[in-house]
Amino acid sequence: MKTLKFLVASLAIFMFVGPWAFAAETIKIGVPLAMTGAYAGSGDNYWKGIEMATNEINQSGGLLGKQIEIIRFDSQEFAPEIVMQGADYLCGKMKVSSIHAGWAGWGQDIRAYGKYDAPFFCDDGAMPSVDVYKSDPEKYYNTYFITDTGGDQANSMFNMLTALPYEYPNKKIVIINTDDTWGMEVGDTLSKRFKKIGWKVAKRETVPYGTNEWGPILTKVRRINPAIIHIEIPSSQEVITFFRQFIKKPTNSILSYGWSITPLEVLATMGKDADGIVGEMPAGMPAPVAPNPKAQAWVDKYMDIYKHAIPAGSWIAYTGVMAWADAVTAVGDEYNFKAVNKHLKEAGYEGLQGMIKFGENNTWHAQPAAPIVHYQVQNGQLVALYTDPPIKPYKDYKFQVPRWIKK
Amino acid sequence: MVLILGGFYCVMGILPLFFANTAHIMNILIMILIWAVVASCWDVIMGFAGIFSFGQVAFYVIGAYASAILSVSLDIPPVFAIIMAGVITGVLGVIVGLPCLKLAGPYVALVTFAVHMTLIPFLKGPLGRAIGSGGSQGILTIPPINLLGVAFSSEHLVPFFYLTLFLTIICTLILALIIKSYWGTAFLALKDSENFATSLGISAFKYKLMVFAITSFITGLFGALYAHYVGMLSTKMLSMDVFTILMIMMVIGGIGKYPGVVVGAVVTVTISQLLAPLGMYRPLIMGAMVVILVLFLRDGVIGLAQKISPLQRKFG
Amino acid sequence: MVFEIIDVIISGLINGSVYALMAVGLTLVYGVTKAFNFAYGSFYNMGGYFAWMLLIPLGMIGGYFSVFFAAIPVLFAVGYLLEKVLVSPLRKHDDWEMKVMMLTLGLSLFMDFGYQAVFGPNIKSLPGMIEGTLEIGQVVLFHQDVAIFILSVGGMLCFGWILNNTRTGMAVQAVAQNPAGAQIVGIPKDFIFAATFAISTIMVGLGGILLCQKTFVDPMGSTNIMIKAWVITAFGGMGSISGSLYAAFILGMLEAFVGWHFGMIYVQIATLALLLVILAVRPQGLMGRE
Repeated sequence: MKTLKFLVASLAIFMFVGPWAFAAETIKIGVPLAMTGAYAGSGDNYWKGIEMATNEINQSGGLLGKQIEIIRFDSQEFAPEIVMQGADYLCGKMKVSSIHAGWAGWGQDIRAYGKYDAPFFCDDGAMPSVDVYKSDPEKYYNTYFITDTGGDQANSMFNMLTALPYEYPNKKIVIINTDDTWGMEVGDTLSKRFKKIGWKVAKRETVPYGTNEWGPILTKVRRINPAIIHIEIPSSQEVITFFRQFIKKPTNSILSYGWSITPLEVLATMGKDADGIVGEMPAGMPAPVAPNPKAQAWVDKYMDIYKHAIPAGSWIAYTGVMAWADAVTAVGDEYNFKAVNKHLKEAGYEGLQGMIKFGENNTWHAQPAAPIVHYQVQNGQLVALYTDPPIKPYKDYKFQVPRWIKK
Repeated sequence: MVLILGGFYCVMGILPLFFANTAHIMNILIMILIWAVVASCWDVIMGFAGIFSFGQVAFYVIGAYASAILSVSLDIPPVFAIIMAGVITGVLGVIVGLPCLKLAGPYVALVTFAVHMTLIPFLKGPLGRAIGSGGSQGILTIPPINLLGVAFSSEHLVPFFYLTLFLTIICTLILALIIKSYWGTAFLALKDSENFATSLGISAFKYKLMVFAITSFITGLFGALYAHYVGMLSTKMLSMDVFTILMIMMVIGGIGKYPGVVVGAVVTVTISQLLAPLGMYRPLIMGAMVVILVLFLRDGVIGLAQKISPLQRKFG
Repeated sequence: MVFEIIDVIISGLINGSVYALMAVGLTLVYGVTKAFNFAYGSFYNMGGYFAWMLLIPLGMIGGYFSVFFAAIPVLFAVGYLLEKVLVSPLRKHDDWEMKVMMLTLGLSLFMDFGYQAVFGPNIKSLPGMIEGTLEIGQVVLFHQDVAIFILSVGGMLCFGWILNNTRTGMAVQAVAQNPAGAQIVGIPKDFIFAATFAISTIMVGLGGILLCQKTFVDPMGSTNIMIKAWVITAFGGMGSISGSLYAAFILGMLEAFVGWHFGMIYVQIATLALLLVILAVRPQGLMGRE
């Protein structure tokens, strides 16, 4: 009886103390993403990559012997004070050892997290964010951009469009983009590059989100009959409705969707109807066959867990967590921010596609180990045609002339 | 009324002693103050003067952008920029108010909301960029306030908190004065029976316009304060989030039962923060709360207090 | 050039019929019950989600016919209940109109995030109602758009006729114009209020189904829908069905032409500018009373 009481007592104590004891043995990382609101879909894509990386590390023994604990924060619609609150909550209050985010505030985030030293990974893809970094690289030294800016990605899109084994019937391009930083950057860059090689930007149309009635624009497009229509709207509804209305009376134009091809709903809704459209994904994992067996294993695992193709952001967010974990392992102390940041900046990380290094402006610029992948939709799937840099064909996938182009 | 306000000031006044080191909580406290004032202005316009204005958030943002542009593009010291921004917003308030006074209920709401809706494409578009709004990127480097050599900004939370508290006290007292004064009685009369009041010589027009002007001024002022506090602005401020939160504050506090809305601000932000880990369920719960509160708690927290304590029937 | 203008006009007509569908419910409910329903957009989505639920997970046979058939009683019931439980108790309060706005705002939050919690935050696609296009010379039209046009215009005209030419319609109008007076004459005022709310729910729900199958069901889109409907009803005159019809088409055309000539970015500003001008000149809207 006494033994029983003793056992019960120690069990009780264990239950009280245990969790506390275990709780102390975690490494915390902050994940500020849009969990509600208009940007929740994209937030979800980054989350999956981060979650997958964290689970993987935890299941194989943790980081420095401790389990990683994710602390989430809802950035909602990225109002300035919310972004700031996120930084103060995660870094100031919860004392996380690194922050992993996707779209994080387009400049506001750099300023918010720059007050602290924990490594901050973000994927704004925006020049304003980089400008903030450049204004004081010492202060913002803990900021890491995991993909290129819109401008740089647009340069790559230009490379792809001019590399296609297709003879353009004329030198006219129509560019349609959203009125936010991303849309404007891509639109401006493409416009500049095409004009430089003698093309005419027959129409440059900036549209607000929520445009679902494309009549007036398509009327003009049909009159112009451009060789390329580039539409850059990082949201699914608009680009799907555009295509449906375009295809009822198509022009002989290459449809270049840029980043707009990546939201999962686009392919999920259109399926094979979308065949022929070209698009890109920054820091992407080429598909349908991965570049090497390790990468293929990763792809298979992702699809097994999440049951859909790899969306933009998932792989690079995963890689970001892994690269940070790698740095922490090398340094031996997750809170030695100076050392961890130094390691991240200087040593590279051996990722699934090769050695990745941070380049100018603490950015993972497009590089062979984290390429910008250009796809075409074939058979309802994204098929990688090219990787950039340098722009070169991917395996033996060939560009197919879209069905709506009549000779 | 004064009791409640006084109590609020005292409590807020000593809170920094406990939380000075937690940036996160100081942030929240400062935002409570800012929003309490903006919500108060809205309460005065809607609940008290009976004007269905939905432009409060718009004026808030206008004030913020005005001050930001003035201090960034024209290098005007933030102290002056803030005041000028308040004045600009006040003037705009009058301009918007003029046509509104001829319209009935939902039309006023629509027109004022139209101002809100127009701001977004305006700020993002070429016109906005021409005056320095930064287009869709917003303005990222707004200088902090510098008064007599002391800097007030998000880097120096405690001083900023007290500055904000100071301004809050002034503004809420101004609003309280308006309500208690002759104007206050005039408004009550107008709200209860406009025709009768007008026949007694109370000029609806003049009073409504003054209310528009003053509340827009204060709102713009606090918008500007926000801009210099956060140090960065974007059109994301115009999302429905702020609008909704301000409305909830009024519901909880009791519309027209000033200063209930101040209490409402504290309660709303606290609940919002507590529910934050629930992600998507937070707005769900808050929405349900609003529905229940409107149905059962007629006049918000103040109404509840009034029912409980006969002594407080003097208030409102 | 001529064909371009014809194209733009057709776009305008398509827009107009879409807007008419969106707005008719609001003008009815406001005109009669004077309750401003902030949750209007959420009701629109309710129709969309209802259709989605029936068609996809439950795989209902009979396609859209069954959906409409099933939707009408459900929407009526929901609208009726909501009015009785949430809206009419507020009539006894002072500041009634403001309270209704606040309550429906809370309701819309609850509904929108409720949808997200149940269905997920991503947009949902409904199978098309009618596929195929119609070609008349250079002009290509979706059968869907034609159907929507006919349904919306026809529906509104029909409804307008009912309001003006039947006893029930007259009763509704009586309540709209003078509730107390109507009650004296024996018209069951409260019932009419609830029934009107219910009918407007049906209209916005059905409109939602029709339009969501053309585009998508977007849980975050309710505010935009409500604002669009609001602008149209205000423009046309709150409470006037024919006013809303005109307003819908005028604004639809404006959007098409401004979008075509100046660029889509200016559409919203142009719409709001026109609205403000009209309200300045005629504060009650095109055909509003008062």
